[in-house]
Amino acid sequence: MSFVPGQPVTAVVQRIEIQKLQQGDNLILGFSIGGGIDQDPGQNPFSEDKTDKGIYVTRITPGGPADVAGLMMGDKIMQVNGWDMTMVTHDRARKRLTKKNEGVVRLLVTRKSLEEVVKQSMNKYPRQ
Amino acid sequence: MFCRNQTARATVARGSALEMEIRRGKFRKSVFLDTSQDSDIQKKIDHEIRMRDGACKLLAACSQREQALEAAKSLQTCSTRIMAYMSELQRMKEAQVMQKVTRRSSDAGPMDDRLPCKGKVAISDLRIPLMWKDTEYFKNKGELHRCAVFCLLQLGGEIFDTDMVIVDRTLTDICFDNTIVFKEASPGFELRVELYSCCSEDDYSAGSTPRKLASKLSSSLGRSAGKKLRAAMEPGPCSPISNGGASPLLLPVPSVAGPKYHLLAYTTLSLSNVQDSFRTHDLTISGNEECSYWLPLYGSMCCRLAAQPHCMTQQMISGRLKVKQCGGDPQSSTKVYAVLKGTSLFCYHQQEDVEANIEPAFTIAVNKETRIRASEKDPHSNVQNICISNQYGGEEVTHTLTTESREDTHRWMEAFWQHFYDMSQWKQCCDDLMKIELPSPRKPAPATPKQGSLYHEMVIESSDDLSSTVSDILARRMQELELRSQLGTSSTWMSVFEENSACCPHPCTSHLSGPRPCTLHQLSRSPVSPHRCPQLALLSSDASLTSDSDSHRSTSPCSHHHGWPEPSSNFSLLSSSPSHLRPRTLSLDAKLSTLRGRGYGGGGTFHCSCQPPPSSLLAPLPISSRSPRSQRSTQTTLSCSSSTSSNSSSNSEGSHSPAEGAPFSRPSMARRSLRNLRARLDPRNWLQSQV
Repeated sequence: MSFVPGQPVTAVVQRIEIQKLQQGDNLILGFSIGGGIDQDPGQNPFSEDKTDKGIYVTRITPGGPADVAGLMMGDKIMQVNGWDMTMVTHDRARKRLTKKNEGVVRLLVTRKSLEEVVKQSMNKYPRQ
Repeated sequence: MFCRNQTARATVARGSALEMEIRRGKFRKSVFLDTSQDSDIQKKIDHEIRMRDGACKLLAACSQREQALEAAKSLQTCSTRIMAYMSELQRMKEAQVMQKVTRRSSDAGPMDDRLPCKGKVAISDLRIPLMWKDTEYFKNKGELHRCAVFCLLQLGGEIFDTDMVIVDRTLTDICFDNTIVFKEASPGFELRVELYSCCSEDDYSAGSTPRKLASKLSSSLGRSAGKKLRAAMEPGPCSPISNGGASPLLLPVPSVAGPKYHLLAYTTLSLSNVQDSFRTHDLTISGNEECSYWLPLYGSMCCRLAAQPHCMTQQMISGRLKVKQCGGDPQSSTKVYAVLKGTSLFCYHQQEDVEANIEPAFTIAVNKETRIRASEKDPHSNVQNICISNQYGGEEVTHTLTTESREDTHRWMEAFWQHFYDMSQWKQCCDDLMKIELPSPRKPAPATPKQGSLYHEMVIESSDDLSSTVSDILARRMQELELRSQLGTSSTWMSVFEENSACCPHPCTSHLSGPRPCTLHQLSRSPVSPHRCPQLALLSSDASLTSDSDSHRSTSPCSHHHGWPEPSSNFSLLSSSPSHLRPRTLSLDAKLSTLRGRGYGGGGTFHCSCQPPPSSLLAPLPISSRSPRSQRSTQTTLSCSSSTSSNSSSNSEGSHSPAEGAPFSRPSMARRSLRNLRARLDPRNWLQSQV
């Protein structure tokens, strides 16, 4: 999932819609993110390419909204409500996810297993 | 008509008279002369020619600049080697001819000239300083004019090259790490060191640009750029081999497209330059600023040139002797197996002891001061004795050696004369055996951490009990550092800190307190011992916590380090035992003193007490395990200037801290938030946020 500067990034993504949950004063989604262009990508345990500065899901609260919606640990978040997340700082990513006036976040996430599934399915049905 | 000595490039027709003559000539030569040496050299030449062809092909085929430079370097080396071998061949042939002539003309007597023994000469750690203009050196922009350089070292018939180094204006010296050992060098050796360089401009792929295009380019480009291009294009002064007819089959030097090395500087080293340490030698620079391969050399070269003559490393003679010491028991003479090596005659009880590496029974010195003479014939036994006299202290000690036969005596005397001759020829190399390190097999370069500071090597998990983690990490680090320092490595920056702390504290507080990494650096350099770790942990956690709050204010200029019983005034002792006495930082101390002064009030500003505590606090240091050092410290404290009074007082303050260690362990809320802040701002952490 590395990117080549200047080339469009392509990935197989899954659309995940998370309903925010009200907890006291806050709206929470129930997961933690890591990464960002201002962070050290080498410490990302989930990324395949250790220069990938994207936003990754590092923890899911079991039973939380994200878990219910199907988000998985290790997913790379590509978009949040249409906003790109592949080239953002950590703080901006956090802010995009925690906007108070939004009750739903629609994420585009990608993970390795998605790519593999697609590849397998392509192999099963070769082009005729 | 045909002169065999002239290079005849004309093709020789098969079956022609010339060919027959040549063939006959060779055949005739081989019958009378010893051509084994010839064929050796010929084989070497053939080998080098093959290598050169390979290098040419590689040069033509490779596309990357680095590869091309390496190939050009091997090409240059091969060409030089071929030249050397050919000239040696020529010399040998001439010598043979001369020998034949002298033999025919007069009966040359036996070779009376004594030849000194050969030896190993090693040159290592070559360093050539550069002298960039300061405007050049500090330039950040602009293209980086780079040159590829390497050294060619020639001694006798052996030619070696060093690795290639790319030099640009950010380098201050050209360093070659190779150790080159020449095995058979005579004392009158001449080691020629040549520095070749080739410009490595990425813009101009000089080799491949055709001439027409290059001239067009150079005329259309600016004047200096064009000049550079043209200079890079032209073949260097290394001319093809011109040989005086060593063999009629002379291969022309291939002119290959590609980078060409030019001679930039050279020098010749000889026996007088040999020393067991580094010396600086002058370089003769050829080329000027206009050349593309120019580098601003300082004009000298540093290296370590060592020599090990064989008389120092090998056994010159060995055999059975009877040794009698004059002045001792006149009748007792010991039977020994003696070995002459280096500057001594080792006398073993038995021959087997030599191989078994057992210590010799005794050793007789044989050096420049020794006098050896053969005594008169003993009328009884008809055997000559050899007397060896040495001056030990003020006394003269003589040993008498008796051999088994007259021939042996003669042999031993001969060996002694040869040995003395060798020592006189090799001069300073025979005083002591110089160490020559053989080049070890290349170890892979150690993986350097991304950022070199200690701070970045610390990985701190976000946990509540920060103090224990930090203490563990620091303890480990300090152990590593202690180990390292015991091995003798100490970075130069450490000494800067030590000095700074010793002198005026004021200027250095700004250094030490400001950036966080510094604080932790100093922490790690504190003296280590297992029972001190807990103290360290407690202090460190606080110091690190407080450091971000008052990063710019803060350290009291008056308080020196404390906490450890060794005050900073111990710097004179630091050099002697670096592993134990390391000053703590000023900022740490200041923090501690302020904390202690103010208790553990929550967040907010920390001001440092600027007045030195009264000297009545000077109390004897309670930690008994360090009593000798503490005594020393109090003494030095008293004897030093007034600034150290705060030293000792802060020492006494600090010494109380272990007793009150308990309050340090549970940080308050304010500290936790500070810690979080620090954790978040830590560039090394990989932040995770909960959403």
